This record gives sequence, C-alpha cells and structure tokens, in this order.
Amino acid sequence: MFVDFFYKLRDAGIPVTLTAFLTLHRALQNGLIASLSDFYTASRAILVKSERYFDLFDQIFAHFFEGAEMPDIEGFELDEIAKALLDQWLSDPQSVADALGVDQAELQNLSPEELIEYFKERLKEQTERHDGGNRWIGTGGTSPVGHSGYHPEGLRVGGESRNKSAVKVANERRYKDYSRMGPLTQASMGEALKRLRNMVPSGPKDQVNVRESIYQTMKNAGEIEIVFDRRLKDRLKVILAIDNGGYSMDPYVPVIQTLFNYARSQFKELKTYFFHNTIYDTLWEDPARYRKPKPVAEFAGMDSDTRLILVGDASMAPYELMARDGSIYVHERSGKASIEQLRFLAETFPNNAWLNPVPARMWPYTRTINVIRQVFPMFELTIDGLEQAVDQLMAA
Amino acid sequence: MEQNIEKQGSFTGAKRYVLDEELAKIVNISMSLEMPLLLKGEPGTGKTMLAHAIAENLSMPLIVLNVKSNMKLIDALYQYDTLTRLNDSRFGDSTRDVSRIEDYIKMGKIGQAFTAQERTVLLIDEIDKADTDFQDDMLDVLDQMEFDIIEIDKTIRAKHRPVIVITSNAKKDLSDPFLGRCNFHHIAFPDPDMMRRIIRVHFPEIDTELMNNAIDTFYRLREIATVEKKPATRELVNWIRALSMDPDFKPKQLAKGEVPYLGVLFKKSQDYSVAANQIQGRKRF
Repeated sequence: MFVDFFYKLRDAGIPVTLTAFLTLHRALQNGLIASLSDFYTASRAILVKSERYFDLFDQIFAHFFEGAEMPDIEGFELDEIAKALLDQWLSDPQSVADALGVDQAELQNLSPEELIEYFKERLKEQTERHDGGNRWIGTGGTSPVGHSGYHPEGLRVGGESRNKSAVKVANERRYKDYSRMGPLTQASMGEALKRLRNMVPSGPKDQVNVRESIYQTMKNAGEIEIVFDRRLKDRLKVILAIDNGGYSMDPYVPVIQTLFNYARSQFKELKTYFFHNTIYDTLWEDPARYRKPKPVAEFAGMDSDTRLILVGDASMAPYELMARDGSIYVHERSGKASIEQLRFLAETFPNNAWLNPVPARMWPYTRTINVIRQVFPMFELTIDGLEQAVDQLMAA
Repeated sequence: MEQNIEKQGSFTGAKRYVLDEELAKIVNISMSLEMPLLLKGEPGTGKTMLAHAIAENLSMPLIVLNVKSNMKLIDALYQYDTLTRLNDSRFGDSTRDVSRIEDYIKMGKIGQAFTAQERTVLLIDEIDKADTDFQDDMLDVLDQMEFDIIEIDKTIRAKHRPVIVITSNAKKDLSDPFLGRCNFHHIAFPDPDMMRRIIRVHFPEIDTELMNNAIDTFYRLREIATVEKKPATRELVNWIRALSMDPDFKPKQLAKGEVPYLGVLFKKSQDYSVAANQIQGRKRF
C-alpha cells in the first residue's frame, strides 16, 4: 500500500527509509489510522525525520492524495540562472540589459537582491523550454544568455566548460552542499584519520588513578587514599576549507563528500568553510558561498594549535592566484593577491595540509599546483595521502 | 501544531498544558508502536512539558534523564558504587553485604525506568548535547529494552516498556540510525491565537486588554531580527506576571509602544540594548 507515495517522497529527495515505511504499515495494521488526516500525521511523524523536509512532504502529500500541483523544482534552477545573470550584470551590464530587452538605466538603481528578484520574474515569463532559438534563455542558441551558445558577448549559464580554468565562470553551482548528500563514511578513510587527535585531560576528576592510589595508600601506611584524574578527551580543533566551486572540482565530489561526512562525525571542534579555486579576502561558512562570509583577516586571532586542512584541486588560471585583483568575483578586491592570503593562513596555522584530489603524477603540469605546494604541504586525496597528511598535521 | 506550558517551580498538571490534536495523535501512535518520540523545536515550545503532561494524563511516574555533554551511557544505566563498598569493607558497620556486589549497584535513570514496577514515562531531555556515541549506544539499549551489568554479569530487562520522549534543541544533527528508530515531530512556535489560549490557561483571570496588548507587543519584539535569544513563552508568562503585579501599570502603555520590564523578556545584555533601541526608535515615529 502506498508504495507509489513512498517512491514519490524518495524521488523528491526526502530520505525515507524502508524501515520507516514498514513501521507506517505496522501503524496501519494496528488500526491507529482511521482517516486521511490521521494518515497525514502518522506518516509524517514516522517517515520524515527533520523539519527541513516538512514543507516538501506537505507538497507531495497534497499532490498524491489531493492532486495538487507538484512542487516547483524549476525554482531551484531559476535561482541559479538569476544568480549567474547578476554576476554578469555586475561585470557587463549592457549585455544583460540587451538580452532582457530593457534599458540599462532602469536596472541601474536596483540592489543586488532586487535584481535577483527581477531576473527571476523575467525568467518565469519564459514558460517553455527554449533550445536553439535566438531570444531568451535556453541552450545552444545564439541568444547572449544561455549555455553552449556562440554569441560573441554571450555568457555561459550552465553547460560544459571548454576549459578547466574557465575565466569568470558565470554559472556557479552555489548550492552544492557536500554535507547532506553523499555516501556513508568509508571505514578506510576513518582508519587513516583516526590518528588525527589530540588527547588532553578535561572535565571533572572522575577517573581513579589506580597506580597513584596504591602508591599513596602505601605511603599512608594502608590508610586508603584514592587519587582521581581527569579523563582524557579529544580536543583537537580542525578547520576544513573545501573548494566546492567550478567544474574542475566536479569529478571529485564523491570522495570529498566521504571525507566531509567523516570529518563531521569525527571531530568535536570542526569548522568548515568553502571557497572557490583559491582563497581571497573571505571564506564562506555556507556552501553557497553567499550568505555567511568570514574574512580571512579574522583568523589571525584564532588558536594557532588549530589544524588547517584545505581541500581543492589548486588548478586555476595563474593570475587568479598571483594577481592583486585576481578574484573571479568582483566584490573581492582588497588589493592582496590570493597567494598572500594563503601564506597568511599557513603562518597562522603552522599545522596545515592541502589535500588535492588530482593524482600526484599530474601535479607538475599545472602551474598553480606548484605554486601552492610551496605554501602548503600537499597530499593526494587518497588513503595513503591522507595518512601522510595526518603525519604532517600531528608533527608538532 | 503548537502547545505550551510554563515551567514555574514544579509542574502543576496537565491542566496547564495546551495540547493540540495533532501532537496528541502522534503521541498515541508512538505509544502504540512502542517507538520513542523525538521532539524538536526552539526553546520554549513545550517539548519537555509534553512528557510531564503525558505522565500526568496517564498517571504514570515520570523519570527524567537530563543529558549532559560529557555523559557516558553507563551513567544513565547504572552505577557501581565502589567507594561505598570499599568503605563498608573497612568499617563493616553497614547493613549491606560487602560480598554481594549487587548491593552496590545503583540504577541510573534508564535503569530505573526498566526496573520500575509499573509502566513509566522516560523523558530524555536535550539528547543533542551528548556526543553521537552516546546517542547510538543508547539507541541499542532502548531498542533491545535490556542492558548488562558487567560487574555482576546480570542482564536487566525492562519489565514494562517505558513511554519514551526524547527532546532536542537541534544544536547538532542526530545520526541517521538514531532518527530511523524514532518518530519525529517538530513543534513550531505558537501563533498568537494559540498563545492567547496558553496565557488563559496560566492566568484564568487576566484582563483581555492586557493580554491582547501584551501578546501583540511580544510578537512585535520577537520580530527584531538581530537578537540572539528571542523571548519565548516562558518569558512572556513571567512578563505578564510582572505587568499584572505592578499597580501603576496600565495596558494602554503597551499600545503606546512602551515596554516596561524589558529585562524580563531579553536576558542577554546585548539583546536588551538592541530591543531597547528599537522600542525607542518606534516611539519617535
């Protein structure tokens, strides 16, 4: 019963497990569910384990049992295109204005948020998919907006990048959150990282030190004297910075997901940040690299005992790393080249390592990898590489 | 979807708990499926009080396990009191039999729930404070409904499966296997209508004007985006109590934008000054 419903939920991305589904049937069998509203309450409590998915569940439920409209998955894509349009607008307002067929001046006064809304409105007007035409957004056309097109002033919205170090990539995949999706922790990776810990005594003195107790008791001529110690606890602080932008990192997503999942469950004090290609003025706490910036300068005050682990392919256009205005983002213009920021981080956190998913034999062919290797000790993102990195991180 | 209760001193009964139908259904389903019910929601939405209300309603004893961040599972199960035994063995003046280790085993909260003579409500409060190991280990115990006391090689089996309510403030995500074995409900913050019912439960005699003005002000203050800890139901109830105790206070003051006893609502100094500024700004216009 309700097998379709189960798969609808799964298709929509709600992590419904089979066990939970069977539990729901147990509830049905027990005669606990007498009406549709009972079923709604019960199925939500049993199947959905996080309020994050409540809204989605509501929509699917309404669709399935009352024939309501399916949730608008397009909205997500629309967001991305609108974001890309905004970036393009910031660097080249004229082409965007032309593409949308509006006056540049009209958009000039809008704030970025308003612009995004505006773009979204315009994008929604286009109701059909549009391939190979010459207006509006689609694929393979000659319109300046879209992907794989060939308009001379065009910008790329999604689609295949022709060159890995694509300059000013318009389409960012901002919502890639490695933490949620992804396979389960791999035991092998756990083994490699297990040694990355720093045991220090902490908490109340609640553990009997047997050796010391015997010694003190003897000293007391048999009058019992019990000595307590604090427990040892892992207090290692770790900062994990992940390159989650651009196509060049795409092939490595699964392995990084594994690493990330493991790190999340293993380290008690883990801070995760995101960057694209390399680090300029800010790191981002949210995977979308949009809402929660963390200025690199703020790291200066942090505990230098913290282990810094960077994950990225370190492959980009050399100027992105070396030039003072190398950032592919217009708003990051502090006048410091990225390489300087990297050196700053390396000095702030002397225990550091860069994990590179690119196979080590390929490293000599990319210039930026060689430059970054001079700043951070670089290791392959493999089990062996991880072990070496742990050695490096724990060498005090 | 919401219900609420004020924690004033000791719990005074399910009469003071506004329970909505949906949550009642979920509780019944969880009880009949014999699965723990996991409640999430921001502080002050009455997660903890639900367990009190269930216990009250079904007249079962309530056992509360307050989870702490450094807690080990064994602490929740049982404790082998070696020190007392050592002491007894030296002085020999207790009624306990030193050679029987069992005399020195004390049950923890989960152990108490298992060994109780009647069915109990077991509240595991703020599970998210503990680390994942604790959560996963506890899950096994709750699943099997038994645990071993290694010192005396004895297995404790639950005499009656307790009704288990687990609360979480969502500080940390709980592990998937953990979630898999619980039923889940998220308690949203009460809307103004529900809040009026809750206030009525607490202050049956309250003046309607005072209540409406206070609730309006309360929800306006909750909208201040930059405060760290938004005032919750508990704060509102205390605030209304403070207001009604002040002989000089008139409900009209609230309508004019004045907020006396702001400190009852905002307890962090930073939040307090942010809120005070906002109120000042509003009064001017």
